[in-house]
Amino acid sequence: MKLLIIASLILCLPLLALAQKSRQAFAYDYTIDDLPNGLRLVTVPTDYPNLVALYIVVQTGSRNEPEKGKSGYAHLFEHLMFRGSEHYTGQQRDEILKKAGANDNAYTTDDRTVYHEVFSKDDLDKVLELEADRFQRLKYPQDGFKTETRAVLGEFNKNSSDPEEKAYEVLRATAYKVHTYSHTTMGFIEDIEDMPNQYDYSLQFYGRYYRPEYTTIVLVGDLKRDDALGMAQKYFGGWKKGNYVAEIPSEPDQKEPRANHVDWPSDTLPLVYVAFRGPAYSDYKKDKAALDLLAPIAFGENSDLYQKLVLKEQKLDSLSYIFEDRADPELFVVAAKVKDVKDTDYVRQQILETYQHFAKEPVPKTRLDSTRSRLRYQFALGMDSSEAIAGALAGYIGLRRTPLTIDKLFALYDTITPEDMRDMAAKYFVDNHRTIVTLSPKEVAK
Amino acid sequence: MKRRHVSFAIVALTVMGIFWGQLPSKAATSRRTPNMNSADTAVLLPNRSPLVSFRIVFMDGSAADLPGKEGLASLTAAMLAEGGSRAKTYSEITDAMYPMATSFQWQVDKEMTVFSGSTHIDNLDKYYALIREMLLDPGFRADDFKRLKEDAINYLKTSLRGGNDEELGKEVLYTMIYPSTHPYGHQNRGSVSALEKMTLQDVRDFYRSSYTRSTLVIGLAGGYPEGFPKQVDADFAKLPTGAIDQFKAKLSQPKLEPGTRIQIIQRETRSTAVSLGFPIGVTRRNKDWPALAVVASYFGQHRSSNSYLYQRLREARGLNYGDYAYIEYFPRGMFNFEPDANLGRQQQIFQIWIRPVEPQNGHFVLRAALYEYDKLVREGMSKEAFESTREFLSKYVNVLTATQGAQLGYALDSRYYQIADFPTYMREQLAKLTLADVNRAIKQYLKSDAMRIAVVTKDAAGLRDAILSNRPSPITYNAPKPKEITDEDKTIEAYKIIVKPADVTIVPVEKVFE
Repeated sequence: MKLLIIASLILCLPLLALAQKSRQAFAYDYTIDDLPNGLRLVTVPTDYPNLVALYIVVQTGSRNEPEKGKSGYAHLFEHLMFRGSEHYTGQQRDEILKKAGANDNAYTTDDRTVYHEVFSKDDLDKVLELEADRFQRLKYPQDGFKTETRAVLGEFNKNSSDPEEKAYEVLRATAYKVHTYSHTTMGFIEDIEDMPNQYDYSLQFYGRYYRPEYTTIVLVGDLKRDDALGMAQKYFGGWKKGNYVAEIPSEPDQKEPRANHVDWPSDTLPLVYVAFRGPAYSDYKKDKAALDLLAPIAFGENSDLYQKLVLKEQKLDSLSYIFEDRADPELFVVAAKVKDVKDTDYVRQQILETYQHFAKEPVPKTRLDSTRSRLRYQFALGMDSSEAIAGALAGYIGLRRTPLTIDKLFALYDTITPEDMRDMAAKYFVDNHRTIVTLSPKEVAK
Repeated sequence: MKRRHVSFAIVALTVMGIFWGQLPSKAATSRRTPNMNSADTAVLLPNRSPLVSFRIVFMDGSAADLPGKEGLASLTAAMLAEGGSRAKTYSEITDAMYPMATSFQWQVDKEMTVFSGSTHIDNLDKYYALIREMLLDPGFRADDFKRLKEDAINYLKTSLRGGNDEELGKEVLYTMIYPSTHPYGHQNRGSVSALEKMTLQDVRDFYRSSYTRSTLVIGLAGGYPEGFPKQVDADFAKLPTGAIDQFKAKLSQPKLEPGTRIQIIQRETRSTAVSLGFPIGVTRRNKDWPALAVVASYFGQHRSSNSYLYQRLREARGLNYGDYAYIEYFPRGMFNFEPDANLGRQQQIFQIWIRPVEPQNGHFVLRAALYEYDKLVREGMSKEAFESTREFLSKYVNVLTATQGAQLGYALDSRYYQIADFPTYMREQLAKLTLADVNRAIKQYLKSDAMRIAVVTKDAAGLRDAILSNRPSPITYNAPKPKEITDEDKTIEAYKIIVKPADVTIVPVEKVFE
């Protein structure tokens, strides 16, 4: 046997400590520094060489869009932030990042907008200077604004060929009547189409949310905390604190089961989405944690339901669940792609019975323990580069601004009992909090 | 069955702290005379990480699908990675993997099939025992076969044809370039009609002929114990020896008829997706590959705003979400920021990917893509663009190989292409490169008189008429544009696409990959 051996010096010692420090889920040393203006810096030095991952997390997402006709602006900003600032045009910015060998992008969710780059460690100072300029002094002309709104429409259009995107959009609009989770991050299409006329509103949006008190800088990689702090103070220290607090309307209690249907214009497999109103993220209340542990047991690839409908009876092309960590109460969604439209009712019934089953019966203790093990390994295995660590942190930073919440959450998982899971299922999986959305090709639509 | 033993010698420590295992003299010979199917090799990246990554590669893929059996290589791989072993049903395997949070993935391309997964070192023995059984002692159960065959058909019918116009256009482009008689001439997952006729015996036969020692390369990375590679090697010695170069003889460069060919896929959709390209006789093994890598990055770095096409079509005009260029196969580009590894091919194409535009801009954007491509070939790259792109790629290689899984994937690909480890190869080759090299490579490889274009849109007949009439396709914006843009628009809107009526075909989406 001829062997090619490349012994790369990857040292992920914190990960190595998984077994020993098993109570600490986020096993990297980190420092939190708060600047007087409210900006927070989280630095995580790692042994992965050469690269630094920079994630700037703004606690603003489509949740922060309560005004009628103004959905999709958090996401629009994710685009506008690339169009230039006072000292750097978009092109100059691109040139600098190109020299840094950077991978540079951004994303928006319901609760946060995240700007991220991974680049050569020597370029950290320059990249932070560049970032500081667009966060404090974004400058985009009206023409450029209008052009960018068309790119957003292009993004909506590219997504729109996927029936799953559409079903999810309709599910949200059906389940939420008042809260801003009623629209997806992209926003309602009519609002996207109106965006070119809303230049002034966009400036207002920036002035409200692109403020230090909403923002956390996460730096992970081949770096020293003291250096990073000095740079953050130098470039972000003069950033003025804002005072805007969004009034996000609470969703009133749902008093009836809801359903909706989508006729899809072309051939596709039917979809069944069965959702219940669930709890918000918490690292101390058991509600979300108990249902996090229940989700893979009840609806994951190892669940009895999956075994039955996907593997044995082969009625489904896929079965999955979506249950995100969110600032406000979030939907617990089970999504099924059905092979034959005549099985749609049967599948819906099977999913509903499974929800009810777990509201009555506690899961076996062994199943709970293996799920806890899975969540810990899943989290640890995911962090195999500085960028992956920063990426994993970003979600929690968006919720609580500290990696500590990860340890609290995993400690909370350890306290959950099978009875807790049953009780939380009984509390949340009630008929009046249910929303079902189906999608099927037009010809066979009901 | 011949048992082979592991032996190696670490002889060199590079400045970057990377050890290269010197191949024994026999291997050095084979490096001079590249043999892509040389079987008796493993790629090992030992380090101190508690994560162990596997990439087990068989140098065989969908190019080995015989006529009428299109999709067999993929279905066989799916049967191994998503079906049961002889000892355990698939449910039992996923149950065993569940507490370890592990999985086993498969990927089939034309010439490479790879099975990959990672585990924490705590679970190495348990995990390895499962995947060893899956690959070496497959269950080939009828119920797994029925499920996975339906999955493959549904992938073609609903995921590709019914839910992803962009990937559909990109895949159709390949079928326009490689005729069905060419080993590359079908989608990796196959065709609906071939899959419908496929039997479990076909899978068994394919497994027997393609999963052999002669096609196997074992890739391991991470903090595995010292004797582990030896154990893996001994276990995989169980595979039959197999024949080398099973399909290599069948591979020839596609001979495309000169001229432009356009295929318009008619589908009920909001927007218009465009992919265009032609074959290039260059892979990473060729000395001009780094030059073309610079060109592709400059012209259309994947998912980056740092590229020419993106700046012209999206930033300046707001036509769509992005516009990119490639010199290697890059599937799943709408989901991945970095390319997947182990898609090694003897033949690649140059490709431009225009993300969906509003239908009224379809004709304009097609002209714009061709106009910019012509301009690239005519004018080449400037010194500034060359230098900044070269600097970008020299550093970006760190990003591409940031995880040990990626390092392993790239190392396996470097073995396939018979080049040095990828970061070293890129840095060394880029350092040597000159602007003249790059501009010569553009003229030599990117000048084609056989452009192939795939479009996915609703009003296929309308677009066909517009293209054939060569009537102007003016564009309107929601905001004033600089004169430089409006002047250029005048040129683009009248840009002639020379194509014969017979060469613009309309295909209903239901017929694609059928």
